[in-house]
Amino acid sequence: MEKQIDNIWIGQKDLTRDDEFMKIADQEFAEEQVSYADMTSNLSGNRRDFLKFLGFGLGAATVAAGCDIPVKRAIPYVVKPDQIVPGVANYYASTFVNGGDYCPILVKTREGRPIKIEGNDLSPLTGGGTSARAQASVLSLYDTNRFTGPKLKDGAGWKDSSWEEIDKIVSVTLESSKNVRIVTNTVLSPTAKKAMNEFTAKYVGAKIVTYDPVSSSALLDANEKNFGARVVPSYKFDLADVIVSFNADFLGTWISPVEYAAAYAKGRKISDISKAKMSRHIQVESHMSLTGSNADNRILVKPTEQGVAIAQLYNDITGGSASTTGLNAKAKKAISKVAAELKAAQGKSLVVSASNNVTEQLMVNAINHTLGNYGNTIDMSAPSFQRQGSDTDMKMLVDEIKSGAVDVIIFNEANPVFDSAYGNILKDALAKVKNKVSFAKVNDETTDLCNVVAPTHHFLESWGDVEAKKGHYSLVQPTIAPLFKTRQAEMSLLIWSASTALDQTKEQPYYEYLKDSWKSTVFASQNEFSSFQAFWDSAVHDGIFNTNSGNAPSYTQTEIGSDITKPGTSELEISYFETVQMANGQYAGNPWLMEMADPVTRTVWGNYLAVPVNFDGVRTMVGFNDLVDGELVELTIGDKKMTLPVVQQFGQMPGTVSLALGYGRTNAGNTGNNVGVNVNDCLTLGANGPAYYNTNVSVSSKVGKEKDFSCVQYHHTIGVKGIDKESGKEINADEAALVFFDYFTGVKGFQGALTDRSVIYTSNVAELKDSVEHLQERRKHAQHLNDQQIYGGFDDMYALGHHWGMHVDLNACIGCGTCTVACMSENNVPVVGKHEVAIHHEMTWLRIDRYYYGDVENPNTIYQPMMCQHCDNAPCENVCPVNASNHSSEGLNQMAYNRCIGTRYCANNCPYKVRRFNWLDYTKADLWPANQPRLQEESVPFMADNLTRMVLNPDVTVRSRGVIEKCSFCVQRIQEGKLTAKTEGRLLSDRDVRTACQTACPTGAITFGDMNNKKGELTAKLESPLNYIALEEINVRSSVTYTMKINNRDKSFDA
Amino acid sequence: MIYKHLNIKPIAIIFMMWFAGILSAQVSADEGKELYKANCAACHSKDMRSAATGPALGGAQAKWADDAALYDWVRNSQAMIAKGHPRAVEVWNQYKPTVMTAFPALTDDQIGSLFAYINGVYDGTYGPKKDPAAAGAAPVKEEEKSQLPMYLIIASILAVLALLLTKIISNLNQIASAKEGEHVEAKTIAQILTSKGVVTFLIFAAIILGAYTTVNKATELGRQEGYAPDQPIKFSHATHAGVNKIDCQYCHDSARRSKHSSIPGTNTCMNCHAAIKNGSTYGTAEITKIYASIGYDPASNKYIENYESKSEEDIKAIYTKWIGDEYKRVKELADLDAAGESEVAKQWADIKKSLTNDQKKQIQGPIEWVRIHNLPDHVYFNHSQHVTVGKLECQTCHGKVEEMEVLKQMSPLSMGWCINCHRQTEVKFKDNAYYANYTRYHEEMAAGKRDKVTVADIGGLECQKCHY
Repeated sequence: MEKQIDNIWIGQKDLTRDDEFMKIADQEFAEEQVSYADMTSNLSGNRRDFLKFLGFGLGAATVAAGCDIPVKRAIPYVVKPDQIVPGVANYYASTFVNGGDYCPILVKTREGRPIKIEGNDLSPLTGGGTSARAQASVLSLYDTNRFTGPKLKDGAGWKDSSWEEIDKIVSVTLESSKNVRIVTNTVLSPTAKKAMNEFTAKYVGAKIVTYDPVSSSALLDANEKNFGARVVPSYKFDLADVIVSFNADFLGTWISPVEYAAAYAKGRKISDISKAKMSRHIQVESHMSLTGSNADNRILVKPTEQGVAIAQLYNDITGGSASTTGLNAKAKKAISKVAAELKAAQGKSLVVSASNNVTEQLMVNAINHTLGNYGNTIDMSAPSFQRQGSDTDMKMLVDEIKSGAVDVIIFNEANPVFDSAYGNILKDALAKVKNKVSFAKVNDETTDLCNVVAPTHHFLESWGDVEAKKGHYSLVQPTIAPLFKTRQAEMSLLIWSASTALDQTKEQPYYEYLKDSWKSTVFASQNEFSSFQAFWDSAVHDGIFNTNSGNAPSYTQTEIGSDITKPGTSELEISYFETVQMANGQYAGNPWLMEMADPVTRTVWGNYLAVPVNFDGVRTMVGFNDLVDGELVELTIGDKKMTLPVVQQFGQMPGTVSLALGYGRTNAGNTGNNVGVNVNDCLTLGANGPAYYNTNVSVSSKVGKEKDFSCVQYHHTIGVKGIDKESGKEINADEAALVFFDYFTGVKGFQGALTDRSVIYTSNVAELKDSVEHLQERRKHAQHLNDQQIYGGFDDMYALGHHWGMHVDLNACIGCGTCTVACMSENNVPVVGKHEVAIHHEMTWLRIDRYYYGDVENPNTIYQPMMCQHCDNAPCENVCPVNASNHSSEGLNQMAYNRCIGTRYCANNCPYKVRRFNWLDYTKADLWPANQPRLQEESVPFMADNLTRMVLNPDVTVRSRGVIEKCSFCVQRIQEGKLTAKTEGRLLSDRDVRTACQTACPTGAITFGDMNNKKGELTAKLESPLNYIALEEINVRSSVTYTMKINNRDKSFDA
Repeated sequence: MIYKHLNIKPIAIIFMMWFAGILSAQVSADEGKELYKANCAACHSKDMRSAATGPALGGAQAKWADDAALYDWVRNSQAMIAKGHPRAVEVWNQYKPTVMTAFPALTDDQIGSLFAYINGVYDGTYGPKKDPAAAGAAPVKEEEKSQLPMYLIIASILAVLALLLTKIISNLNQIASAKEGEHVEAKTIAQILTSKGVVTFLIFAAIILGAYTTVNKATELGRQEGYAPDQPIKFSHATHAGVNKIDCQYCHDSARRSKHSSIPGTNTCMNCHAAIKNGSTYGTAEITKIYASIGYDPASNKYIENYESKSEEDIKAIYTKWIGDEYKRVKELADLDAAGESEVAKQWADIKKSLTNDQKKQIQGPIEWVRIHNLPDHVYFNHSQHVTVGKLECQTCHGKVEEMEVLKQMSPLSMGWCINCHRQTEVKFKDNAYYANYTRYHEEMAAGKRDKVTVADIGGLECQKCHY
């Protein structure tokens, strides 16, 4: 084995030709059946129940057959609202906001129910992109764990109360209290802030304490020192030619990932290969983050080396003389190369850091200043408010609580007992605060310790506003009447502060308050509209409103101290990171996000300790401590011990391990409880605040094996190669099955094209010309092979009407997984739970395959969204005994669920492995509890209750047990778009039909359209010479086209 | 000889003007038809001859001295009545208290078009030009006579023949063997009928027939052609769509823009029934249910304040009083007699029964109709596709609803039924620019190689047109 590998590999098992894995991959269709043991251990039924049901079923069917068809009711409106037409979706502009997470959205509602989130493409920040969190937020509206109304603590539980009672109790308490604290995460709403200020004005001594679950406090503090404002600058990744990120996961989780990803992708897309230009992205980190996996070069430094790494760059750029003792030699060399590149790209470069050390952030600012990036790639005139937390305030609050100085504490949807570094301290210390009020929607860890719950609305039930960046306003508007007896937190605060500005006699008092607030602020600051009503109507309609942001403050030099992080000396260090799906646990109650595969590790339902794999220099990759995926280890951090499974992670620096934050919650509702381990109390607490690493860590060797290790990386693999045991030649793993099969013994070279499969093409930007030539040759060869057949005429067959196709730009795809959640939401794809995923039963129609290539110790990554390719010569269709899978004249591979009898031949014959089988009744569509798997220990299975089912898309069939399903190219959207065009009597346009994955994508990587429309967006994209078709040589004529993945790697970094 | 040149120009111009006149009359009448459907058809009958909520409009123009006054009347009738225009007062006296909706937005031209259409229909000059080709293309449904009796007769004749032949063969065998000196008994009819061959054949036939019947009956399970359940209100389509000629889409307005044709909200009923308080068949018995659902007091012509929070007793008081008063008015009684009282009690009991059920305890709120046309959940059907794009008449699938006293499901709504129609129905191909990208079909049609494009030709039989 070489250290440098040009071909792709999917993981350690693939790279080292793990015997067991190759056996599974051989079998093409590696799903396991539901065994009797599964039935009895995980489901509430057994053979006796089955017989009972069978008997009952026969009896019931006999009786039912003799009866009339049940009477169905059709219930019209009494007074039908004008804007609602039953059966037609309405879209309302609103804003997804949760703490500092922000995304302007359109909410799709059907008959008054929000069912899907789309991006708002009027927003100049996100351009219509969304995040997985925004996509999944609609499900949290229908969370069965939500408080149904105000509650008072009653022993260990809660008793129902009324708003009158709550208001009385809280007001009386507040009147007689001195030190009142409101604890909140970042508040993006100017009007909510106004309400809070009214509150603090009324109660002298009241203070607002803001913290962020993953702190960016140092960044804010540094900017306060340099610019006089505690803000996040506006980073313009699209204008930067060289991007250097010190551990900042700006594509996945850092500050404003949707905005950054959209801008970043602009610099990565290649439209014209003759003038190919691509930004260079260097990531300095120890664990493989989503952003790091997209980088051209990664410089590996230990978590404690971050400080000296920044100092090294600071010295190289500004000529400073900060101490860099302890930085590893390889990184030192690489950073000086980075410095040279940065200097060559003055004003067109960008350096960011996620460090929570003020001195380090000051150095980063100094670097950017010296490079002339302020005013170019960094805009201080429209700073972002998406992080506002202050570690100092938080620390002070904890001290106050400990000393018993706080009388009343109000938690504004903040959960510091779980997600702050002070969780363990607060858990005990909060007993000293007599009156604790929570606005939480569900009974989280912090709320559980409170006396009063005044639950707030879900954002889809609320009015509100957002100022994510200076001058960039968004509105939040309700899209459904409150489901429960909840009240907006702002309303509660205003009522408790006896606000005179809040007119409680109005039907929607907070709406009026918000409007009045905008009248005096945003309306007053603009001159586009003269009448407030016109201004307001426009703002509510568009969901966003932009005003001038003003001038940028100038950079003020400050003295840069020497208290950067000291490089540790311990053998092992652990770093903690935030994941796209969980944040710091805020989204743990959301089953869609729980089951969304982590983009990098591709694990679900839990956090897994990422351990490095080391190249032994000769033949194989050795896992840290000889550990392999799914083995349990004992992790000791400080004095905390926990047992958890490991996952081998390429690109994880030797001598380090990493673990995701946000798991291990104990009060997150049915879905989130006790999934993974919580490490928020294992952060390194410095004088300034938490740092997201620990040096006092040890990892045992294997102590056991995880029962349900659910990592989808080795599920549904395609194009895997193996060694033919007889000839010793490298062949395809699935071909090996053919070769070893008796019939084919001696028939070497059967379908020669198979051994060299095209799944991924990569190239360095410098070698692009040669690579494209190579690609063209390969494609020509494949097409030549495909022409050697007796069937023909594929081109003519779809020349009439539409021929649907898709283009995926792998250079724009960052692997964030938003599309996978959007797909679940749009297509009623079920959630199956950890156990089912572990036995390969995940139902995702769209998965993102992760491949590595390049240096085995520090590889580059490719993300390939893989969905049904809608082959025009589809192998799945030929083998269906009942013709349930067949082809439409528009080139769609159709799946008729009601015809499917569940032979699964199609899934077995699918070269892309995108077909999914409903082994159990995942959607809870039938009657037998024995078929309904539980995700966790919930009393009613997820989706079996009427509340959760409100999220279902009524235009898509809910599949029952025993049928195959797969990506339909969002056929419901195709049909809807066609109908719109027909009704309007015009040709179909690109805007009419856009798939859910396409609209969700923050980077515009997916283009869907009619290949017969020669003027369409898709046709233009299909002309790129970088395009290829996955597995083109097997002549399935797929309708999805990918682009070659181009990197801008500097190979000299690896030397 | 000098002939005076026949100057053809003026004649041609006159001819052209006359022709254009006809044409423009047709055009303006077409516009008028649209306006009529949108604004007038709800209250005025479409045949222009019979009175509905409002008077018949045929010949109305002639009854007005000048068009200007008539046009003002259309725009705002109440103003004309207040002014005391003689014809206005005359109509008002005839129809009060029903107030005609004001249409201040209509222009003189539009009202002109309206009357062009009205007069056209009235004197029979307006109407679809009979296109023999189109008439021929319309699906002709021939009464298919069952062939079964004939088959049965043939089968029994053949069976008797077979029996006779067997008997003859048996007899001949006997004679033949007798000649050869052997003695063979001739088979009796009973022996023939119980022979192995016949029994095998009968079992085989029974299995085939049984399986055939089972499969056929099984596919019909869940289908409810002819389903005509009792509804909470004895709503008569014959009265509304038939006698009063209200357009289907006046009430089922979402049919043209949504997948559902949806049952109208109670507020739609109130558009007419705010004024029409007594039904032609049931008097107050059925119409009062609408009022009780939405909270309208027909006695005072006002919606009841806070109706949602009213108790059943309050509601009962309002509506029993109304029913009683109407009873007295119709019977011209000063006080309610015993028959009247029992009538009131009966009507109230019916109102309560119709508007409440196990789930819905209170009288207020929506009327829960019984859904007649039910498709399985895995079928996607879109009304607007068929009504707006395909321009199908509602009656194509729903039958002659305008003649139904109780609504009945006319079509089986089976997949075979859908498919069959998709095979036969022609797509409105030429009039819709959407289909322009079906270039080959257009070329074939232009070249005369193809005379029509059916739904099936553009993929209307494919699974994922209806199942996804």
